[in-house]
Amino acid sequence: MTSPIDELKQSKDHLFSLFSRGEITETFQGDYTEIMDHYFRRSLQENAAGESLFAKKHPFALVALGGYGRKELCYHSDIDIMVLFKNGIPSEAADLAEKMFFPLWDIGLELGHATRNIRDCLTLSKQDFQVFTSLLDARFIGGDSPLYLNLVETFQKKLICKKPGNFWQWLKEMTESRTEVFGDASYLLEPNLKEGIGGLRDYHHILWLARVFFNARVPRDLEYLGLLTHAEYLGLEKQLRMIWLTRNHLHSLAGRKNDRLIFEYQDRIALHLGYRNKPGFPAVEQFLGDLHAAMAAVKSLYRSFVITHLPETKQPRKPEADTLSDSPDFRIEHGQIGFKTATDILSRPVLLMNIFEKSSQFGIPLSLESKRLVKEFLYLADDAFRSSKEVVRIFLDIINHPRAFDILDQMFETGLLETFVPEYKGIKDRIQFDTYHVFPIGRHALKTLQYLKTLSLEKDFLFVDILADLPNPEPLFLAALFHDIGKRGKDHALRGAAITAQILKRFYYDRDLQKDVLFLIHHHLLLAETATRRDLNDEKSVVQCARAIGDIHRLKMLYLLTWADSMATGPKAWNEWTANLVRELFFKVLHILEKGKLATPLAQKKVKEKLSRVRRLVGEMNHPHHDLDRLFEAMAPRYLLETPVQAIVRHLEILQDLGASFNNPENTNFCLQTNKNQAEGSWEITLMAKDRPGLFSDIAGILALNNINILSAYIYTWRDGTAVDIFRVTDPLDLIHPEDIWKRVEKDMAGIFAGDFDLPERLANKTRSSILGRQKPHSRAPKARFDNDSSDFFTIVEVFADDRVGLLYDITQTLFRNDINITIAKISTKADQIADIFYVHDLEGQKIEGKDRMESIKKNLLRVIQTHPAH
Amino acid sequence: MKKIETIIKPFKLDDVKEGLAALGVKGLTVTEVKGFGRQRGHREVYRGAEYQVDFVSKIKIEVVLESELVQDAVQVIQEKARTGQIGDGKIFLLPVEEVIRIRTGETGNAAV
Repeated sequence: MTSPIDELKQSKDHLFSLFSRGEITETFQGDYTEIMDHYFRRSLQENAAGESLFAKKHPFALVALGGYGRKELCYHSDIDIMVLFKNGIPSEAADLAEKMFFPLWDIGLELGHATRNIRDCLTLSKQDFQVFTSLLDARFIGGDSPLYLNLVETFQKKLICKKPGNFWQWLKEMTESRTEVFGDASYLLEPNLKEGIGGLRDYHHILWLARVFFNARVPRDLEYLGLLTHAEYLGLEKQLRMIWLTRNHLHSLAGRKNDRLIFEYQDRIALHLGYRNKPGFPAVEQFLGDLHAAMAAVKSLYRSFVITHLPETKQPRKPEADTLSDSPDFRIEHGQIGFKTATDILSRPVLLMNIFEKSSQFGIPLSLESKRLVKEFLYLADDAFRSSKEVVRIFLDIINHPRAFDILDQMFETGLLETFVPEYKGIKDRIQFDTYHVFPIGRHALKTLQYLKTLSLEKDFLFVDILADLPNPEPLFLAALFHDIGKRGKDHALRGAAITAQILKRFYYDRDLQKDVLFLIHHHLLLAETATRRDLNDEKSVVQCARAIGDIHRLKMLYLLTWADSMATGPKAWNEWTANLVRELFFKVLHILEKGKLATPLAQKKVKEKLSRVRRLVGEMNHPHHDLDRLFEAMAPRYLLETPVQAIVRHLEILQDLGASFNNPENTNFCLQTNKNQAEGSWEITLMAKDRPGLFSDIAGILALNNINILSAYIYTWRDGTAVDIFRVTDPLDLIHPEDIWKRVEKDMAGIFAGDFDLPERLANKTRSSILGRQKPHSRAPKARFDNDSSDFFTIVEVFADDRVGLLYDITQTLFRNDINITIAKISTKADQIADIFYVHDLEGQKIEGKDRMESIKKNLLRVIQTHPAH
Repeated sequence: MKKIETIIKPFKLDDVKEGLAALGVKGLTVTEVKGFGRQRGHREVYRGAEYQVDFVSKIKIEVVLESELVQDAVQVIQEKARTGQIGDGKIFLLPVEEVIRIRTGETGNAAV
């Protein structure tokens, strides 16, 4: 016959292999416990030391403790056992233990054993609640059964009945420290199956409390004693099966006792449990969704068990009870709210939503009984309920309430939220399988809302101020709740907006607010993506972002949503580095929207129409399409806004004529075009070339040299470095042969580009003899102003002065000499006054900073304007 | 052997990474960093409260290369990270005395 230990080894190996083949699943813990029990009983029978102890009147009992006592042995669980004596512990006890327990260590089991008498048990239990709970789970295995019963009775009389309150206090503290250390397993991505909130420990707490307060001896008593309903008990069994099965697989894969369901095993366990990949819904995500749902149910059951059945230390505040006393529908009991009569729900299903409103108003949770009733009557929440004006109004009131998070949490738990917004079905518990997202989607949505609700606790006053500035934050709250509702595969933001549109339509939700909600959902990633993927020093990137947003309130809501969404996603999604970038973008977009013009809806529409007309007209030219997109992308925002379609097309033609080599930085090609404007008696000159500092000044100089008076000018620099300068000028002096003059201008320009034309010298010679250059008395003092506030991207220099030939050259030359690069300029002349606006950078591409520097440039400008000519 | 340390704009990371990979660079280290150079932080005012941003968020890439590759790598980084706007960043070249692969103990170019 095989020895007990060999038999144990064989049976255990057999059981484990059955499990890994999937032939044994849910009965594993029971089967394993039985195998262990069998070993101990056999070992006891065949143990000489045991016999001799009985012979010498030292009866003893073998008692299983803890998880082994509860018959919950998992794959690598510890096995806790005690040899119990009545009074003294005889010396043979050591021999007994050695024979029985040492072989277990040899085959690698984690065994915890103790040899105690009854008094030891009581003393230790008083000192340490851990020992106390392990004894609550005590189970007789073999030996002297009267002795075991003696222990149980004494334990009951001397300990359990004495101060149950202390034990309850201890459990509460344990729960708190578990929350801190292990977190809420019902939504963490790597939940701790045992100690996490919603883990097996919650179930143990229920058992212990039922034992201590209601004398429940076995789990089934939970139902028999009326502590749980039949449905709740069945639900609990089902949830525990899921958790245990997962735990066994986890132990088996990890090869040791490990209760944290870490990432690397999740895939394999999902497959073991029979989950299979579906399109867009991987097996592992289905698995985690179900597991979280199970743990959330355990968590919730424990909470309601505690609230319903245990003495509450905190009494409900009186005034609240009074406030409700005249309510025909609800009452407050033990600090919880409940229905007065369940049958009322049948005739008025709106009460299902109503009770949550009351719960938010008084800040007290629903009673276990009322939660049960809500679940039971969910079928009453039909289509009519879902679009009932009153129900929707109550729902929106809840969303707007500061306690919205707690209330929605209860609505999730009872299933009402899913019933009211069926779009949440199948997505609530959905997990995103990456290390970035810590919570499943439903939880994440609630968390996002919670961050917005607790904004005032944040250190960052900016967010608090922004929220306070919103005339109506409701769209933001709705967007927070629904922003990920389209999360099934790609483009979830767009799909989410479409799904939410259906929901809000059903709500008969205000049209304008609805647009805001949909916008926020559709663009909830815009700020974060732009901040990290676009150049924030590039005006066009920011203007495009501003155009997509188009409205200051929307921007503010979007900023808050971006923050809350990221915070609720997990620790990796929001840090100071990202916060920095998003804030920079927020302010830049805010400034653009405040200044209007570049990003108004009208501007956006105008530019869009323009581009499609340009595209049509260019169709005949030989621009390949993608090339055109690249060019549109390169065009400066102001250029697109201010330049007529015909002109844009012409510029594109010129660009093509300049040829492919134009993009080479050393390229010296340029193109000068002149067109007569008959109606105004003026000419338009267009110059296109690769931009370089001083270019604008050179053209101004050459025009002055040829006696061309500049009436107005627009100069733009595209993002690819193409300069487009458009001048409206007076007729040349030679009206008969203007083309000769334009030819000369072009020749001079070519000279400049070739570097063999001394413009300052020529101008100096010229002004000496020119009648136009004669100095007139100044009617007004010239003015120059630096503005660094109006734009985040440029310093704006404004100059007002009396006009004269060569003045523009002098001004731009002065800017050039002071290392200032002109990107955009608007030159206009009215009567004899010029008003010039320059958008400038220094040579680093930065705004002009420093008071001294600005003052000195200003002085230079004013001097050159007044002392004529400066050469 | 040289070490290249480069500070670039966050949105240029992918471009630079791909450029270096195309050169045959086998590994690099990326860090989210904050600092300032010519491009300073700035101050914002919202509802009377001031929000001072002292540092600008940037990406730092560190890569150690055989000497022959260094010139090309610098060129690639310069090309890919350039926008022409302020804050395009910098490239630093540092001599590297030795490289040791921890797993195998290989040294020199074999360990790069």
